[in-house]
Amino acid sequence: MERSQDLALGLLVAGLGLAAAWQAGSYHGAGGTYPMVLGLVLALCGGLVMLRAARAKTDAPRRLVDVPANLVKALAAGVIYVALILPLGFYTASALLMLALPPVLGFRRPLYTAVVAASFVALVWAVFSLVLNKPLPAELWAASRLGG
Amino acid sequence: MKINKIIVATALLAGTTMPALADYPQRPIELTVPAGAGGGTDTSARKLAVLLEQKLGTSIAVLNVGGGGGSVGASQFMQARPDGYALFATWNSPLTTVPQVQNVAYTLDSFTPIASTSETAYTLCVHPEFPAETGEEFLAELAANPDKYTYGNDGIGGTMQLAAERIFQARDIKAVAIPFGGAGETLQNFLGKHVDIYGGSISPVLPYVGSKEAKCLVVTSAADVPALPQAAGLESLGLGDKETLLWRAILGPKGLDQAIVDTLASAIDEAVNDPSYVEFLAANGEIPNVVKGEALAERLKSEFDALAAVSKALGLAK
Amino acid sequence: MDFFLNAASAVLTTGPLAAMLGATLLGVLIGALPGLNPVMAIALLLPLTYSMDPLVALAMVAGIYNGSMYGGAIPAILLRIPGTPASIATTFDGFPMAEKGEAAKALKIACWSSAIGGIASALALMSVGPLLARATLQFGPAEYFWIAMFGMASVGVMVGSDPVKGILAAVLGLLVGTVGIDSLSGQARFTFGQPWLLGGLDLVVVLVGLYALPPVLQLAEKCDLRGLSAAQLKLASVPFRKGEVRSLLPTWGRSSLIGIFVGVLPGAGGNIAAFLSYNAARSASSEPESFGKGNPQGVAAAECGNNADNAASMIPALTLGIPGNVVAALVLSALMIHGLQPGPQLFHQNPVLVGGFMIEMLLTSVLILLVGGAAATRIFAQIQRLPGVLLVPSILVLMCVGVYVINGRPVDLWVMLAAGAAGYLLEKLNVPLAPIILGMILGPMAEQSVRRALLISRGDPTELLTRPISAVLALATLGMILWPLLRAIKRRRAKKASENKP
Repeated sequence: MERSQDLALGLLVAGLGLAAAWQAGSYHGAGGTYPMVLGLVLALCGGLVMLRAARAKTDAPRRLVDVPANLVKALAAGVIYVALILPLGFYTASALLMLALPPVLGFRRPLYTAVVAASFVALVWAVFSLVLNKPLPAELWAASRLGG
Repeated sequence: MKINKIIVATALLAGTTMPALADYPQRPIELTVPAGAGGGTDTSARKLAVLLEQKLGTSIAVLNVGGGGGSVGASQFMQARPDGYALFATWNSPLTTVPQVQNVAYTLDSFTPIASTSETAYTLCVHPEFPAETGEEFLAELAANPDKYTYGNDGIGGTMQLAAERIFQARDIKAVAIPFGGAGETLQNFLGKHVDIYGGSISPVLPYVGSKEAKCLVVTSAADVPALPQAAGLESLGLGDKETLLWRAILGPKGLDQAIVDTLASAIDEAVNDPSYVEFLAANGEIPNVVKGEALAERLKSEFDALAAVSKALGLAK
Repeated sequence: MDFFLNAASAVLTTGPLAAMLGATLLGVLIGALPGLNPVMAIALLLPLTYSMDPLVALAMVAGIYNGSMYGGAIPAILLRIPGTPASIATTFDGFPMAEKGEAAKALKIACWSSAIGGIASALALMSVGPLLARATLQFGPAEYFWIAMFGMASVGVMVGSDPVKGILAAVLGLLVGTVGIDSLSGQARFTFGQPWLLGGLDLVVVLVGLYALPPVLQLAEKCDLRGLSAAQLKLASVPFRKGEVRSLLPTWGRSSLIGIFVGVLPGAGGNIAAFLSYNAARSASSEPESFGKGNPQGVAAAECGNNADNAASMIPALTLGIPGNVVAALVLSALMIHGLQPGPQLFHQNPVLVGGFMIEMLLTSVLILLVGGAAATRIFAQIQRLPGVLLVPSILVLMCVGVYVINGRPVDLWVMLAAGAAGYLLEKLNVPLAPIILGMILGPMAEQSVRRALLISRGDPTELLTRPISAVLALATLGMILWPLLRAIKRRRAKKASENKP
């Protein structure tokens, strides 16, 4: 486990470093030398990690993810949430996330969830929109989105 | 969901029946400043925003989007909708200088000029022991010693550097440009004698002229600047056509309705000439300067062309 | 003395006092919420201050600034999510303490350390401010380069068990720090034609993703449906044990000095101060291996260091008119809007205002003791009583709102998610995250100053070593790298000797 993980990490990092160094080659002057050196050092670090992993005698188990199902659910929720912020508006998307994610993770108390979601979104709204007057992505149903 | 639909329907109805621009503005305006909070552009924009809020009767939220010498904020702002609720308070550099050296997504046509607000010159200052007492002597000393002196500026290809290089080119001067993050950093390195010449806006260095730690010998405006009596204006050096100023303006996105432009321009005109704003500007070595609409577009265009020539000659152009 | 007496009589009135109390509490809240930071809060409040009595306005700035530096420690200790970039070092020992059931103790130490650092810093501002400011002018680009190098050397402390991966993380951070317009040549690096990358990746956006998302994901994995009961929280106030305060005194003294030194230098910030203080505490400790496993000294060092940076960072702004960081720039901006000209004569121009602001920096540090502890236990710790599955979406919403309002652009949200996913994996692969942030902070400083120094010396690198201050700093950096090695060798020898004896 640990060996193959470190091999993959080293390979990825070395590739990233080389790509950066190659890209830096097109920059002129000292502004290019510095990132190129960094890229090469990064590639070297990646190489070292790979080399060490290849020569390692032990291969201890190391779990990357403890509960894959829950991780995937949470990550997917995060991605869907961010993707929905613009089309739906910030507060609508946030309320949806707060209502939908807990049951997906197995929380079966809808009233509790709803109360926490409502009070939390209200709190964020009070701080950011009411007090600080910060423009956030407008709600789908807001008049200004339709009128303007 | 049903309730939402009703809201949507009423809103749609309201939207269609309302005359589009009847009484602009109706809701808060977002003012993008393409520089970090606390700098010169930010401070003057915020002060102006307070006055504009009174004139327009709506609140104005300032959004700072720094980075890339102002190009990040400008690129982000050009995508705003031209409904009059997104405005851009900038200094000239992101529009006329930065596009010379960076590949930017915007051109002058990406914006609707509304009105300029104020202007000031840059200055070149030296330490008291520098062997020159006048602007003419200063330029002669620099010309006689190519590459001997270092001058701090606001960044490679920035307006300040171009302002200095226009003068240097005309007098065949070679000085080593040391770019810093801003006038404050330049001043710090000038006072610590890490660079020989301060190049930057007037207000930060002003206190040190009084305390005789800095000798300002040249300003980049054609006329002299009263606050710096020892400094020569470019006219008196015979370089009147090399004037480069730092000036500030408010713009809208491309395609902004002319009625809105007019409303805003006259509100800005009043706000800038408010005694409290004039006093604020004077404390920072700036003077009010309101150029509106078409005339402002013309000013941007001619400055852009002049700086394009300088940066090409300097080898800075992209 | 009259200077401060006059100022004090102006400050000790209802308006400024109420503003300080409210703002300190607000600051603690702002610092404690990941994504919100003092710069943003002060920038947002600034317009409100234009029409205010300037002493009230400055009281709010002082309260938010000092309060938030402490506030960052609260989620750092309870959730391992640093509330501000300056509280990363607090997570190193604060969270392990919380895991051992010593959260209340860690919070108390953070509170006291923040207050003491802030008080020391304010006293420095009031007494030797102008002198210190003059001294910092001796620091040119060459000296700044060495300060950045000195900071980078503290990566050695953070690498943990695997030095190669620690260096890998640091280099990765340095590389990320090069993204954007290179201010010395004007060319865009690693921007791939994306205009939003021209300004580089925002430190706070990356920090929130890298540090806040992995704990949130782990919380989701754990899928806690019940939440902690009050008894489990063990957050009842714990008094200091006998001798405990005395054992923290040297750390407080050292960290205060480091924080003040870093603060006075324009351009270096509280995050660097916290890292350096933590590193110094570890180097001075007789048991350096206990750091990172819940040593109270680590929390004290980091929190004292980042608060000691605050008032000191106002020194160059108030005495020279040179703002060293964004908060200082905002204070200057507020003064200018009230018609004052920053610069050496500011003290004479309006002694009551300048002296008053200094006193406010001092009093708000004291106020941390009053409101800080209560805020931490009464409000924030209660959040942990919510079931974990409800905390997950709540923190996600907070992260997004915080990140979005920094620049007002949706793409930052994706950057945050990507940084978070990367952080999750890297951590599982034993790659430490702190060096990445350190590289992002110090990389641009190191690169720009070394290139400026070489421009000034016309390309002669010996200039970096021959100036007296830079030579001292270079030696200190070398010592910083060698010191742990020397100690390890010494200990091994001692061990061998004791094994051979019997």
